[in-house]
Amino acid sequence: MDKMQMMLVDDEERFLSTTKKLLARKGYDVLTAASGLEALQILASQTVHVVILDVKMPGMDGMETLQEIKRRFPLVEVIMLTGHATVESAVEGLKSGATDYLVKPTDVDELLEKAVEAFEKRKRLEEKIRVAQSRSFMRSPREIMRDTA
Amino acid sequence: MEEDKRQRYSRLKRMILGSMIGVPIVLFVIVLGIGYYYFTTSIETSTISSLKRIVEDHRQMIDSFLRERTANLEFVIHSNSFQDLVDPEHLYTIFLNLQKESSAFIDLGVFNEEGTHVAYHGPFKLVGRDYGREPWLKEVLKKGPYVSDVFLGYRRVPHFIIAVAREQDAMKWVLRATIDTHLFNEMVKKVRIGKTGEAYLINADGLFQSERRSGGGLMDQDPDISAYPKQHDGTRAFIEENPHGEKFLYATTWLGYKDWCLVVRQEKSDAFRALRSASYIIFLILVVGISGIIAIAYFLTNRIVRRMERMDKERDLLGVQLIRATGLAELGEMAAGFAHEINNPLQIIRSEQALMEAILAEMREKGELPVTDDSSELSDSMAQIKLQVDRCAQITQAILKFGRKGEPVSREVDLRTFIPEVTKMISKKASVQGIALKEEISEETPLIEEDPAHIQQVLLNLFNNGMDAVTQKHGSSGGELTVGARPGANGRVEVWVRDNGCGISDENLNKIFSPFFTTKPVGKGTGLGLSVCYGIVDKMGGSMAVESEMGVGTTFTISLPTAA
Repeated sequence: MDKMQMMLVDDEERFLSTTKKLLARKGYDVLTAASGLEALQILASQTVHVVILDVKMPGMDGMETLQEIKRRFPLVEVIMLTGHATVESAVEGLKSGATDYLVKPTDVDELLEKAVEAFEKRKRLEEKIRVAQSRSFMRSPREIMRDTA
Repeated sequence: MEEDKRQRYSRLKRMILGSMIGVPIVLFVIVLGIGYYYFTTSIETSTISSLKRIVEDHRQMIDSFLRERTANLEFVIHSNSFQDLVDPEHLYTIFLNLQKESSAFIDLGVFNEEGTHVAYHGPFKLVGRDYGREPWLKEVLKKGPYVSDVFLGYRRVPHFIIAVAREQDAMKWVLRATIDTHLFNEMVKKVRIGKTGEAYLINADGLFQSERRSGGGLMDQDPDISAYPKQHDGTRAFIEENPHGEKFLYATTWLGYKDWCLVVRQEKSDAFRALRSASYIIFLILVVGISGIIAIAYFLTNRIVRRMERMDKERDLLGVQLIRATGLAELGEMAAGFAHEINNPLQIIRSEQALMEAILAEMREKGELPVTDDSSELSDSMAQIKLQVDRCAQITQAILKFGRKGEPVSREVDLRTFIPEVTKMISKKASVQGIALKEEISEETPLIEEDPAHIQQVLLNLFNNGMDAVTQKHGSSGGELTVGARPGANGRVEVWVRDNGCGISDENLNKIFSPFFTTKPVGKGTGLGLSVCYGIVDKMGGSMAVESEMGVGTTFTISLPTAA
């Protein structure tokens, strides 16, 4: 849980490979998927914390993929990558559960910043879940006692 | 294309002109023609009937003259015995009495049954002459009162006589008087109609019995007329040409008392002079009328065609503007798509550049990249690539904003902070143009719930218009642009933009919200700005008003509903 696992989803192969290399140099481990479907397959088999998802893709597009990810893997943080500089598509993405959005062409540093932010959020969320779960464990005997009382 | 149009217009012009001239002229000519026909017919009829009346009146006069003269003689012969009459003294007295009755008597003679001139008073010496074989004597003895044709007789001078006979105590005698030819002529000729009107008598053989003014002595054959109407035909009127080719209007009638034909004639052109002047007048009316029709048709056609040309031009212009507007929308969409696609390669370039930079930095750290001119130029190039990609990104983002589509996204907008944000966007341009920007935003201004992008668009449009107006009047200094907001009536918000620019004329004020209306030169403004603003404000449930005074300035006021 300490090391962030990112996944880039974009139909541009070169973008995937270059960004992967770049992020690897900065010390981050990155998975890549060339389509929404591939992304979902990877998510099903591996742990991914942050997905950076292109909005516009052939086949299953970003919005659909986002909804599918949120349905099946609600804890995965998704950052939308949009070529369209309009508020509308971003708002739509955010409404569907995306954590944040980036406008193409985006700076790698910016991308990383948002990814880290999202990862932190994810970590906080997992922490809350963990605490909540442990609290429920702790609460259980008390309840038993109350029940017996 | 232009040639085509000109040809079309000239064809149209010819067509309109043709029908505008043709139709009224045909009607005009028909009306005039009918008028002319009835007018001339009535003139002809009245001319002919007046000529007939004249000839009848005249005939009655001549008839009564002859009848009276005969009656004079009858009276004399019956009131005197043969013995009285042959007495020269007594005959003289009777003659004087007769002359008192009528000065037409120039002599008086008495004949016995054998035809011997037994007594005479007059200028000739005729006593004793034998008239036994004269046909008139036989006639008078057999049938009574007799009027002769003009003849020469013993005196060898054209004259005519009236004779009456009496029988008493188995004895017959005859009283004869000669009528003054001159006097009789004057009486017959007395008729005057127009310039050429004349009257004369002819006997059954076509010989003149009175002189004709236009030529023709007593007892001459009338050369001008071929066939006289037969006796007792009544009054007749006809037109005949004489051998010299002159046409005459004739009216003829036979005397009741003597087988003479009274002829009244007038040259046709003279008789129908009124007709000719009527023709002149009608011709004049025709010419003036047709010229009028042509002039009016020409004038109207020119106006119609000019107006059509103008309307066509306006329509063409509108078409062009529409095409431009739709073109603009299409261009916007296309540009948006284009920008979107460009962003992907830009993203890759940026990533590649970042990778290269990272590799270079690593190499520099490891000392694999010597610090030389080349390597520093390489870094410079890298920086330049980043810069240019950023620039491209800016351009594509601007295009995407320009071509934005989709439903408006409403949210609460606080005009107190929002308006200054928008103002900031034009502050640079305003300061360059020397325009002072002022804000008069009331702290009580309520919130509104609208798409901020739309509010921004409307405000920017009004600002830009205001700045144009201001610079047009003040040039690069002295301009003022004020934007304000305050709570309005009925729970609304009022936002206004005021400038001290050139103002808008009353005439244009009515049109400024119309699509495509612009006072800017062709190509400078689409004329859509204010109309789009109006549409946006209207869709928001608001209203937009304008007040302007030429040379003083203009204020646009927008009234919007507040957030619920």
